[in-house]
Amino acid sequence: MDQVVLREFTERYLQANNCHIIESAPSFLHTQLSIEADKDLVNRPFYWMYVEKMNLPANPVQLCFVFDPENPPEGKRAEYLFYGSPRFRQLLQSAQNQGKYVRLYQEPARWTQFSSLSKGYTPWVSVHYLISYVCDQKMDRIVSLGINLQSGEIKKDFGDVLQTYKWTHKLPERRYTFSPRMSIQEAVGELEYVLTEELTEEDHQWAEEADKRLRDELNQVTAFFPIEEKQTDEQKAAKTARQRECIWQYHPRIEVKLISAGFFYMEQQTNEQKG
Amino acid sequence: MNTPPIRFHREWLSLFQDKVETDAGWANWDRFQLAIEAAEISAVPSFDTLLCLGQLQGIEPLPHQIDVTKRVIQEMRGRAILADEVGLGKTIEAGLILKEYLIRGLVQKVLILVPSSLVLQWTRELNQKFQIPAVAQKKAWMWDKYDIVVASMDTAKRDPHREIVLNQPYDLLIVDEAHKLKNRRTKNWLFISEMQKKYCLLLTATPVQNEMEELYNLVSLLKPGQLGNESRFNKDYVAGKRMAKNEEQLRQEISQVLIRNRRKESNLPLTERIVQTIPIQLTSEEKALYDGVSSFVRDRYQTAADLKSMLSLLVLQKEVCSSRDAVFLTLFKLFKKGNEEESTVPPEVQHLIQLLRAVTTSSKAEAAVKLIESIPDKVILFTEYRATQEMLIRALAAKGIQAVPYRGGFNRNKKDWMMELFQKRAQVMIATEAGGEGINLQFCHHIINYDMPWNPMRVEQRIGRVHRLGQKNDVHIYNFATEGTIEEHIIWLLHEKIALFESVIGELETILEGLEKDHSLEKNLMDIMVSSETEEEMRNQLGQIGDKFQHAKEKHLKEQTRKEELLWTK
Repeated sequence: MDQVVLREFTERYLQANNCHIIESAPSFLHTQLSIEADKDLVNRPFYWMYVEKMNLPANPVQLCFVFDPENPPEGKRAEYLFYGSPRFRQLLQSAQNQGKYVRLYQEPARWTQFSSLSKGYTPWVSVHYLISYVCDQKMDRIVSLGINLQSGEIKKDFGDVLQTYKWTHKLPERRYTFSPRMSIQEAVGELEYVLTEELTEEDHQWAEEADKRLRDELNQVTAFFPIEEKQTDEQKAAKTARQRECIWQYHPRIEVKLISAGFFYMEQQTNEQKG
Repeated sequence: MNTPPIRFHREWLSLFQDKVETDAGWANWDRFQLAIEAAEISAVPSFDTLLCLGQLQGIEPLPHQIDVTKRVIQEMRGRAILADEVGLGKTIEAGLILKEYLIRGLVQKVLILVPSSLVLQWTRELNQKFQIPAVAQKKAWMWDKYDIVVASMDTAKRDPHREIVLNQPYDLLIVDEAHKLKNRRTKNWLFISEMQKKYCLLLTATPVQNEMEELYNLVSLLKPGQLGNESRFNKDYVAGKRMAKNEEQLRQEISQVLIRNRRKESNLPLTERIVQTIPIQLTSEEKALYDGVSSFVRDRYQTAADLKSMLSLLVLQKEVCSSRDAVFLTLFKLFKKGNEEESTVPPEVQHLIQLLRAVTTSSKAEAAVKLIESIPDKVILFTEYRATQEMLIRALAAKGIQAVPYRGGFNRNKKDWMMELFQKRAQVMIATEAGGEGINLQFCHHIINYDMPWNPMRVEQRIGRVHRLGQKNDVHIYNFATEGTIEEHIIWLLHEKIALFESVIGELETILEGLEKDHSLEKNLMDIMVSSETEEEMRNQLGQIGDKFQHAKEKHLKEQTRKEELLWTK
């Protein structure tokens, strides 16, 4: 990962966390962490427990991140931030924890602000899934899906649709919301159904290969131990344990985890396009 | 094939529903975006690229190390014996593999078992070079509390740790110095065999020391059945205890679980060693002291009652070749202990003390100062004795040359600090210890052997600190030999007969072990020294030792070549 991209991401994270930037240069960022960021980035849970229990004034730390180790700031203690450094890993983890769930309203386009017409907003649920293909190896893929809670319509790459609008956490004036015709649970069920279909149609060569490796290993185990009637108790236990290890190591599976889930109220697009 | 099982993690669903119902606890758009981007950054884009290379700072892995990492993960599926020759960086390879698995989220719980003297070094290297938060195991609660633990095998296999470790499945188990697992009937072997592990790396430079069975036992820890069961293995592959048959097929099977790189094939030739003997002429006072101590040692040695006093005499004999200061301390201790009741010092010791007093200069120290002044570079000087070390620091300081000491007894911080001083400020480091962990001196390429250990292993350790992977210059080795003393003979033996200095003798330790069946080499040398009537007789006897060594070395090499054929990665 490029240090310029990394710096830009870090700065946006700090801003989103209300961290004050004390000094900013292309090669470094000196920042006063907010309490929230301190809790996520600096490992001192006992300090925070103590401060909160005793009702003491909180004292979050200042950190100075260097992005170009050749050009550190003068006279400051600074740490090198790079892809793979523990701090940046924490920052990525924190960002993922903080941005999991949103509920937002579409901001009306500027020219409609003067219109006195009121408009209804359709509720959508957006889900970003992390799909992991796991055997003794692993690969990930991110899938974005959205479902219209009124019509049940499902859109792929829904995240790209969301990107094209501006969003606000308050229902804008002269806008009202339609109520959903399906529950969250039903909606998510639909998404899982569509996703399962998609995954089923994929090429499973990786899984076939892993399965073959697993079978080969299990055959090796069978050949290694004496036949069942001649096994001692220890051998029996060792054989089962070894079989379990093989399955643990190889058995192919697809894990689907949540990255983020959002509740979005937006104008009915199809009508707009038709109209 | 059918679709592999799909598992939806749904813990989030009820949380999300709650938030929708209460309409509270939402993130904003910016954080929502950051979360998705963070997930994209962290995602593993494909099965078979190495991600760890882009996430490391502070090391640049060598091509063969990257190659090993790829092969272990992609072909051996994370269960392998890493058997590179000494000095090719097995630790780095293990670190790369661990890092890759951590990044991919395939490994969380990790145990690294190493000899206890290496626990701290491993922990430090994983943290510093790989940014892996490994912790050195100290207390029993640490097994559960930390994900990545470095511990000694001896601790782990003992109660109460044993139970805890055996009950915990480990995603990755790394065992360093795995040749200690060559015997299937040992506690070590059974313990590792019983552990629940997904991936497993066994590190050893000597996967087969003696018998074919050792290899079988190692492989059976990783993949029982890879070489068949025991009777099949013996039938198919074993021609004799130390002999294989069906070698090509065996090679095939082994190469699926074992990687061995050799220096020659890795394109990593070490730089040259340039050896120089510096003859030192003693002043007449020094010579008188040397002769006095030598005849004293000779007299006492023949009547010495116990091993302990024999050892003291051996030390004394070696010290007199190093410095007056070193002799003084030992003489003092020797007679304080022996004559607690008597207040008078025996006349022969009185005599030695007088001889000692007469020595006011050190020819060796002067030669060292002169040599160091002529070298426009960093110099590491090794001596066996602390008194000599201190004397030399003073002598160099008097000439305005900065020298830092290094001793085994220093604690970790002090060692690190001395290393840093040497690297950044001082021209000279004076070390009494070459073994142990942590002295890597690739930035320096001049070694002075101020006095010579009689044990070739110690000499090799000294040189190995400097002449190792990463050394970019030819290494200059200066051996100080005081003329007309035992030191001259020892250097002759090590240099001319054993050829210790010019090149790395592979597996010196194994050869010496074979040679030292009855007595240690040092004891043999001492015996020769005290029993020889003439210089010539001494030379002859030392020559015989040299011949024996050469013989043992040739035999070892021959055996080794056969074994290597089976092992090394073509």
